Amino acid sequence: MSTATEPTVALVDAPVTGLSLRQLAWRRLRRDRGAMIAMWVLVFIFGIAILTPWLVGLMGLDPYAFDGTVLSPAGSLPLGDWGGASWEHPLGVEPLTGRDLLARLMYGARVSLFIAVTSVVIIAVVGTTIGIIAGYKGGWLDTIIGRSTDLLLAFPFFLMLIALSPVLTQRLEAAGLSPEAARIGYLIIVFAFFGWPYLARLIRGQVLSLREREFVEAAVASGAPTRRILFKEMLPNLWAPIIVYVTISIPTLIAAEAVLSYLGVGIVEPTPSWGKMLADSVRYFAVVPTYLFIPGTALFIVVYAFNVFGDAVRDALDPRTGRGIA
Amino acid sequence: MSDTILDKEEHMGSAIKNGLRLAAVATAGALVLAACGSSSSDSSSGEATESAASGEGAPGGTINVLTLEEQFLHVDPQRIYTGVDLAFFNGYTTRTLTAYNMAPGAEGVTIVPDMATDLGTPSADAKSWAFTIRDGVTFEDGSPVGCKDVKYGVSRTFATDVITDGPTYAISMLDIPKDADGASVYKGPYVTEGNDVAAFDKAVVCSDDDKTITFNLNRPAGDFNYTVTLTAFSPVPAAKDTGEGYDDAVVSTGPYKISEYTKGQKMVLVRNENWSKDSDDYRPAYPDQIVVTFALDLAAIDQRLIADAGDDQTVVTFTGVQPENLATVFSGDPRFVDRSVDGYDPYVRYLAVNTQKVPNQMHRQAIAVALNRAEMITIAGGSFAGDIGDGVIKPNLATDYAPSGMWTDMFGAAVADTGDAELAKKLIADSGEPMPPITYQFPISPTNEKAAASIKASLEAAGMTVTLEGIEAGQYYGVVLDPEQEKELVSAGWGPDWQNASTVIPELFGANGGFNLSRVDDPAYEAEVQAALAMTDRTAQADAWKALNKKAMEQAWAVPTRFGKIQYLWGSKVGNGFLWDAYGSYAFGDLFVKS
Repeated sequence: MSTATEPTVALVDAPVTGLSLRQLAWRRLRRDRGAMIAMWVLVFIFGIAILTPWLVGLMGLDPYAFDGTVLSPAGSLPLGDWGGASWEHPLGVEPLTGRDLLARLMYGARVSLFIAVTSVVIIAVVGTTIGIIAGYKGGWLDTIIGRSTDLLLAFPFFLMLIALSPVLTQRLEAAGLSPEAARIGYLIIVFAFFGWPYLARLIRGQVLSLREREFVEAAVASGAPTRRILFKEMLPNLWAPIIVYVTISIPTLIAAEAVLSYLGVGIVEPTPSWGKMLADSVRYFAVVPTYLFIPGTALFIVVYAFNVFGDAVRDALDPRTGRGIA
Repeated sequence: MSDTILDKEEHMGSAIKNGLRLAAVATAGALVLAACGSSSSDSSSGEATESAASGEGAPGGTINVLTLEEQFLHVDPQRIYTGVDLAFFNGYTTRTLTAYNMAPGAEGVTIVPDMATDLGTPSADAKSWAFTIRDGVTFEDGSPVGCKDVKYGVSRTFATDVITDGPTYAISMLDIPKDADGASVYKGPYVTEGNDVAAFDKAVVCSDDDKTITFNLNRPAGDFNYTVTLTAFSPVPAAKDTGEGYDDAVVSTGPYKISEYTKGQKMVLVRNENWSKDSDDYRPAYPDQIVVTFALDLAAIDQRLIADAGDDQTVVTFTGVQPENLATVFSGDPRFVDRSVDGYDPYVRYLAVNTQKVPNQMHRQAIAVALNRAEMITIAGGSFAGDIGDGVIKPNLATDYAPSGMWTDMFGAAVADTGDAELAKKLIADSGEPMPPITYQFPISPTNEKAAASIKASLEAAGMTVTLEGIEAGQYYGVVLDPEQEKELVSAGWGPDWQNASTVIPELFGANGGFNLSRVDDPAYEAEVQAALAMTDRTAQADAWKALNKKAMEQAWAVPTRFGKIQYLWGSKVGNGFLWDAYGSYAFGDLFVKS
C-alpha cells in the first residue's frame, strides 16, 4: 500500500481541497485494506495468466503431455500422496492422464480470464454506446432500444447458452476456426450478446439524469456538436457505473464459464479450463481430494477477490451507496 | 451383439441408451454386457469368485438391483438384446429352449436344457434342428406352453416394424425365401395381406402333440442350440400379444412375474405360483422377490455398495464399479475381497477405419502403427480397463482365437504398445500417396475426450492431420452407421452373440454385416466369410475365423485397442455373486440372500 504513485502520495499530505473525483475515489480505495489485498491478488493472478507460457516453460511443465509413469498401473490414479505432488509436479497430476495439474491450472486461468475479460470489454463498449444513445436521443430510438433490451433480458440466458452451443460452434468451425477457438469464440459471443442490455439500461438511466444537468445544457446552448456532448461531457461522468459494472461482471462470467464447461458445453479437451477441471475432478473427491480442491480453491479466490474489489470500487466511487470511508 | 451402453464416465446422470439392435460398445470407458466369453483367469478375482460361488443357496429374502437406467430398454423377449437384460430376464421370467449354465468360469459358457428336454437334435447336415418341450412348462396364468407358443414368439421377430431392436437371427437363419428387396417374404404375425405364412410354417414345424418344434435353416449351423438361448426364441401366448404394447405387459414363464413396473422408479418381481419346480432344473429361484430401482447416480450406487449397510447388503448392479473406486475396492481390503470380481467382459474395443475414406491399405496400417495403445488403456483406467488387443476376436472366444501377430511382425517390425511414429511415417512414404486428413469420431464423455486427445497426439506425431469430432453419446451409433455421416476413424466395440466368431467377423467385415463401420466391400473376403459360415466342422471353421481375423488386421480395417474387462462389487449378503462369462454379468437366476 505504501507504494502508491507519486502524485497520490503528494496528495495525501496536501490540503483536501481541489481533488478530482477520480483522485478522491482512489484515496478512499487505498484506505480499504481488504480491497487492496484483493487488488494485489488479482494483479498477481493476471500477471501469472499473462506470463503462463513463459513460466510453465521455465518450470519444465507441459499441460498437454500425457504421462502414464506417474499413475498406478491398476486404476490410473496418481502415485503418491497429495494427488501425486512432487518437485516435478508441484500440485500433483491428473488421474487417468498424468498431465501436470499446475500447468493446467495456469493455462486454465488464461482461458477462463481471457473469456471473461474479452466478453466484458465488448459488453462495456456496446452497452455504454447503446445506453448513451438511447438515453440522450430518446424518442423512437429509445423505444426501439428499450424494447430490444427487454426482449434480450427476457431470454432464459443459461438455457439459450446450452441450446445454442452445438449449432453455433459448428457454424464457427465451418467458418474456419479450430474447435478450440470456436468454443472460446462461442462463449465470448454469447456472453457479450446477452450481457450488454444490463449495462445499456444502467447507462441509459444515468444519461437521462445527466441530460438535465447544467453543464450539459450549457454545452448544448454553446452549440457543441452531439458527439462532443456525448463523449466529452457525458462519458467522463459515466466511468463510475461502468467500472463498477465491469468489476462485478468479471467474476460472474468466470463462474458462468466454469458452469458451462462443467455441463459440457464450454471448453473441450485438451484445452484446460477451471470449470472443466472441476467437472472432471468431482468424481475423484473420495480418492484424490486434492484434485477437486485445486481448481475449486483457485476459482473461489479469483471470484472472491473480484467481488471484494468490485464492492470497494463501488463504495469508493459513490460513497453514498454503502460503507464509504471518506 | 447386445448393446446398452452405460458409459462409466457419463455420470452426469444419463444412461446412454442405444436404440440399435447392434452390439456395440460406445466407448473406451463403456460398459456393455453381452453373450459370450470364456474363463477369465484373472488373479484375485478368480479366487473371490470361487469362494463366493460355493455353497447351496437358501430360499427367501429380497435381491435388490440398483441401476442408472430409467427403465429396461425392452422387456419384450423378442426385443431384448442387451447382454445384462438377457441374463436378468432369462434368469427370472423368460424361459428359453436352452440356456447358458449359471456357473463361474468356463462352465458358464456351456449350455444346458431349459424348456427343452435336451440340447436339441440336429439333422445330419445340421440344417434342421428339433427341440422337445418338457411337460409342465406353463405361462403365469397356468396355461401350458407348447410348440405353437414358441413358434408364435419366433414369428414376432419377422414383424420388423413393430418388434424393433431385437436380434434378427430368426430372419437370417430360417429357411424362408427373400423377396426382390432382400426382405423376408414372411412379415410376422401382424400382417395379413401379401404375407407368405406358408413359408414360415415350412421353416418352423410343430409336431402333432405340440411338443416338438423343428427349425429348418437356410445353411448348416452346428451350434444352432446356442442361438436359441436368445430370448427372441422364447414363447409368447398369441392371445396376450399386443404387439408394441407387449413390452409393458409381458407374460412370464419363469419362477417370477412382474407385479409392478414403474419406469423411472422400480420394477418388482414376485413369485409366479403357476411355475412348477418339477419342470425347471435350471432355475433355483431362491429369493422371494427381486426389486430393481431405476435412475440412480452411479457414484451413489458405488458409495452404497462400499458402505454395505442395511438393505444395501443385498444389492447387485447392472453396471460395474466406477473407475475412481477400483483401486479402493481391489486393494485387498478384507471388506471387499469376498464380494468383488474382476474379469473379462465379452467386448473388443477398436477403432474402425473407414475404407471408403482411407482406401490405401498402407495408410490404414500407418494409423494402426502410430496409435499409442498403452496410453489409451491408461486413460480408460489402466489394467482394470483391459489388455492390449490384437484382433477383433477375443481370447475368451477360446475356439476361434489365435494371436494375429499384428504387433509382432505383421507390419514388418514389432510395434511397441506406445506406438511407432517412425514406422508409420515410413508406411505413409512407401504408400506413394499423401495421407488423407483424418477425422476421429467418438461419443462425448470426459474419458473419451481425453482418449481422443491422446489419439490426436499420437497420429500427429506420425505426421497426420487429425480433427476430433465428439458426438452426443445417445446419438452416436446412429450417426456413424450412416455412411453419409461417418468419417475416417470411428470408435467402436463389439462382442459375439454366442461362442462362435460367426457372430463377429461377418457382422464387422461382411457384405451384409450389421456393424460394418469399416465399410469393407471385398468380394474375395466375402466369399471366404460365406464359406466359413457354411462349415459344419467346427475346428475347420475356427481355423477359417482365425485366418479371416488375421486378414482383416493385415488390411487394418480395424485397429483393436483393448480386450475389455469388467469389475463388480455386490452386497455382503448376496450369495452366488460371480462374473457369468456368458453375458459378462451376474448369473441373476442363481443369486440368493444369505441369512
